[in-house]
Amino acid sequence: MLKPKSVVIIGASREPEKVGHVILQNYINAGYDGKLYVVNKNAGEIMGFKSYKSVLDIGDRIDLAVIAIPARFVPQALEECGKAKVKSAVVVSGGFAEIGNNELQDALTRVAEKYNLPTLGPNCLGVMDPRSRNDTLFLPTYKLSKPQVGGVSFVAQSGAVGSTILDLIGGEGFGLSKFISYGNAAHVDEVDILNYLMNDAETKVIVLYIEGIKRGKDFVEIARRISKVKPVIVLKAGRTSAGAAAAHSHTAALAGDYQLQEAIFKQFGFIVANDLSELLYYAKIFVTEQRPKGNRVAIITNGGGAGVLTTDAIASSGVLELAELSAATKKVLQKSMPVLVNVRNPLDLAGDAGSERYSAALEALGTDPNIDMLIAIVLFQTPGADSKVAAKMVEYKDKTDKPVIVLSIGAEYTQMHRIMMESAGLPVYDSPMSAAQSLAALYTYSKYCATHK
Amino acid sequence: MQLLDYMEAKKLLDKYGIGSVESRYVSTSAEAVSFSYGNPIVLKVISDKALHKAKAGLVKPGLATKAEITGAFRELTSKAVKLKPYKIIAQKMAHSGVEIIVGGRADPQFGKFILIGLGGIYVEAFKDFALRLCPITKADSMEMLGQLRSKDIITHNGKMAGTLSAILMKVSRLLIENDGISELDLNPIIVSETGYTAVDIRILK
Repeated sequence: MLKPKSVVIIGASREPEKVGHVILQNYINAGYDGKLYVVNKNAGEIMGFKSYKSVLDIGDRIDLAVIAIPARFVPQALEECGKAKVKSAVVVSGGFAEIGNNELQDALTRVAEKYNLPTLGPNCLGVMDPRSRNDTLFLPTYKLSKPQVGGVSFVAQSGAVGSTILDLIGGEGFGLSKFISYGNAAHVDEVDILNYLMNDAETKVIVLYIEGIKRGKDFVEIARRISKVKPVIVLKAGRTSAGAAAAHSHTAALAGDYQLQEAIFKQFGFIVANDLSELLYYAKIFVTEQRPKGNRVAIITNGGGAGVLTTDAIASSGVLELAELSAATKKVLQKSMPVLVNVRNPLDLAGDAGSERYSAALEALGTDPNIDMLIAIVLFQTPGADSKVAAKMVEYKDKTDKPVIVLSIGAEYTQMHRIMMESAGLPVYDSPMSAAQSLAALYTYSKYCATHK
Repeated sequence: MQLLDYMEAKKLLDKYGIGSVESRYVSTSAEAVSFSYGNPIVLKVISDKALHKAKAGLVKPGLATKAEITGAFRELTSKAVKLKPYKIIAQKMAHSGVEIIVGGRADPQFGKFILIGLGGIYVEAFKDFALRLCPITKADSMEMLGQLRSKDIITHNGKMAGTLSAILMKVSRLLIENDGISELDLNPIIVSETGYTAVDIRILK
């Protein structure tokens, strides 16, 4: 489904406003280099492709069928895919269980099961794999920034949230491994998808947006195994649907359905995000950073106030500690820093700090055994901070085995440097709180892995 | 959903070695007086219709004399008329300590969950609890305690952690081995450095 050598678009159309048209156009635009077929009962030729009446007429091996036709015709089309030995299907069409049409959805499930044909959807965006240039999304390319190739796989039940996050990922420095929107989960569901991604070498981090869980026991089983292999960041909708008001026990009043699911996520090492921006914060630190050995954080900064705010954020994270610099480090810093620099943590390099001072500080802290993680605050509004500092950060990042992140707050000039650093695999945060929360999540996961081998 | 009879529920706790306060149903004030045998007791109304017993004035603690017991019994029977069918239970007074809640809930999808939190009247005010899927390990139980904001209050800075961990392990086993339980409240359990006792039990089938 994700790396097909041949794709058929069932319901491809000449009319630009039709979903089937956008999908075909996107395959062409993306430069998909496998074989492409189109099926449309009425048209003879679509955008230069010969149109077949049925998938059965093609007479070639088909790895993926993308189905974008009115719901009532879908089971029949899927049946034909089964007969034609198509390897997988994505049903983009809506009009099934989401509008109460359960019978039609059951019919679809029965066909998928009959032919053992992995079927995604219905009512979904389908899949995107930038490496294979396979993209079933019916979103016009000019409307969203499609992400670069990377290590984050994103799984969303909802198509709308899915495309929003996809667009946001497009604006981030980290890239995408797989995007999977699975809609009503009539056949393939979140458990199948997690199973696949757990074993997918291209996926380093899984980001999951989930509305409901269908197979509770199987979900628990995969959750138990997957966190030991790679991190899963989850955002579950329905947080506020608290325990039933008319609960019969205090326990049920406290532990509503969301709380139960959150308990499972935490128990099995998932990283729980509370909103979309947290998903992205966590994704970028988990995809680039190694696991810290402990929870002690050092801060270097070119602004005193930002250092204090970050110290507060670390203290309020509940899991991180401010590192106590070793005697050896203090000695080195006392020699290398100008007298106006007070040698302690947070280490305030002062507003005139340039790349040399940053470099000397990073070298000294990088070898300190009392430090597990590092936040480098670079406020680009100061006279000393420029592209050389950003370059020095990237250079240091490649050398150290400690997690290191940058905190830079500001508009255009700062954003330019953020993109520069993030493209080189160095996560940049725009608030002390998000930086501290992300390090805390990284540490919590690392602790989970150490105690659940 | 059906409330398991209090004394049946108590027997189930006994079977798993979970201590609860000495209790007996009483149908007259004289029975309550003889149960007291000169020691202070509590009288409570037990009814399907009353979840928040203390708030509804259905708990009368610290009754030592015959006059106190008789007066409280009369007051409870008149209050409980609208809660029929009901029973009145007499319990020995528990020693003072920290009130915690240990609970259980069955979910049709995932199975049984166990909960621990700050108990008694604080349950809903602070909503400070930790929740896990059963069965839990000893390490899980210690992690649950560590998650509570009130962990220092509940464990007396760690001294009672062993006691609480043992309760959690026993309740987890009880939940797993008894299929029919849909909800369970042990609220409060009174914990002190000398031990613990469950003061109120609520099991729903």
